[in-house]
Amino acid sequence: MIGRLAVQWRTFWFAPAPITNLAIARILFFLGLTLFYLPHDFSGWGDVSPALYQPIWLFDFLGLPILSLQALNVVQAVWKLSLACACIGLYTRTSMMVAAILGTYLLGLGHNFGQTYHFDAILVIAFWILAFSRAGDGWSVDAARRAARDPGSRPVETSGEYRWPIQLVLVAMSLVFFAAGTAKLRASGVQWFTTDHLAILLDRVQYHISDAEPWFTWGSTVARIPYAANLMAFATIFFETAYPLALFSRRLRPVMVMGGIGLILGIRALMGPTFENFLLINLFWVPWDRVEGWVRSAATARSPVAPAARSEHLTEIR
Amino acid sequence: MTQRRAAVVHLLIAGVLAGSLYDIVTSQEHWPFSDYPMFATVHRKHVLDNWYRVFGITSSGQEVAIVAYPELWPLDQSRLPLGIRRLAQEPGNEARVRAALTDILRRYEERRRAGLHNGPAFERLKLYKLGWDLEPNAANLDHPRSRVLVAEIGQASEARQ
Repeated sequence: MIGRLAVQWRTFWFAPAPITNLAIARILFFLGLTLFYLPHDFSGWGDVSPALYQPIWLFDFLGLPILSLQALNVVQAVWKLSLACACIGLYTRTSMMVAAILGTYLLGLGHNFGQTYHFDAILVIAFWILAFSRAGDGWSVDAARRAARDPGSRPVETSGEYRWPIQLVLVAMSLVFFAAGTAKLRASGVQWFTTDHLAILLDRVQYHISDAEPWFTWGSTVARIPYAANLMAFATIFFETAYPLALFSRRLRPVMVMGGIGLILGIRALMGPTFENFLLINLFWVPWDRVEGWVRSAATARSPVAPAARSEHLTEIR
Repeated sequence: MTQRRAAVVHLLIAGVLAGSLYDIVTSQEHWPFSDYPMFATVHRKHVLDNWYRVFGITSSGQEVAIVAYPELWPLDQSRLPLGIRRLAQEPGNEARVRAALTDILRRYEERRRAGLHNGPAFERLKLYKLGWDLEPNAANLDHPRSRVLVAEIGQASEARQ
């Protein structure tokens, strides 16, 4: 029994995988973050009165200071540079470690002033997972430089090293959804979707109480369609609580992942909270090796060689 | 994978699992881990009560709610009210609330003069505790059912001191 569990544990985390999945997820994840945070200015936190400072446990425990406006400008410039370097795979390990350390500090800053938001916490966890990974072994400037230095070197083999970081990011994300679902059930039970609760929420957010305005002002209209809010509330609880199934069922995975994306977009569109960057974590669900295979097949089919081959084949048939 | 490397990876896996599950089970928050409690508690009444909002006072005495992000930056219309409400509801924090408001007015005026937002000039700030009976599309946004003055601070020139 224990032996079988150990095998399942090893298979889940460390079954050999190609570098492609992890490397392309790394490229797109850090590309998305670079573009998302490039216009974002964290320096203002260095200018907020200490009167509003209500430290979260991490800053309190580690004694992290709120740096000055000038110092934050330097820190955020280095962090954004590290995101870009992690994307292209330049000094990848160092870049990802810098992205994790400075990202934890910068993304955590605002939570010390009044309210802890939840849209960036999973990003910080992903930073640390990637910082300890070998995501730069392929599809990176580092790999290209290694190959140039040693033309006889063998291409990267499949390894468990390229599986566990993806699995851990996805497990962490599944636990985020699961936590949100169970928190609702524990606090309110089935009343969360059998009462007017969500309809009331859709009206409340019209009073400028979210961190950003909803994309659309239809919330109040939706709240007045009979049972629409109840149905949305039920779907929310269902997808959040059952989300971890996506880790184990290939058949359910597309449904659960699309459901999760729908929840995030629905919350942003009708209620306001800015979860856009959270969506980037979904890149880790994509089997990029298969996408690469499809792209290569499509490219081969369109290449000039292919029609000739096809005509030869037709000639033979004739 | 070497034994040492495997140990590091397993420690990381254990850390992520333990941090996440601990907060879920104990309903606590240790950012970046959390039990994700947002919107979890059911609202039963069609009201929005006990909401703190900062209003700027123009030279003509007009009161204008400050809710736009560029006017509150780096704070926002959710973080500021929740944070300042927590301060205001703890006894003995009057000076701290006034200091926070002074800081908000200083930054608002500095950013206005720098052209970073288009809000009107304010001479004073007032912090109100507001309550509404919910209406579709917040039709009564400017006419709350209840409105209690919590704190007020003076001239922008004082705020710069």
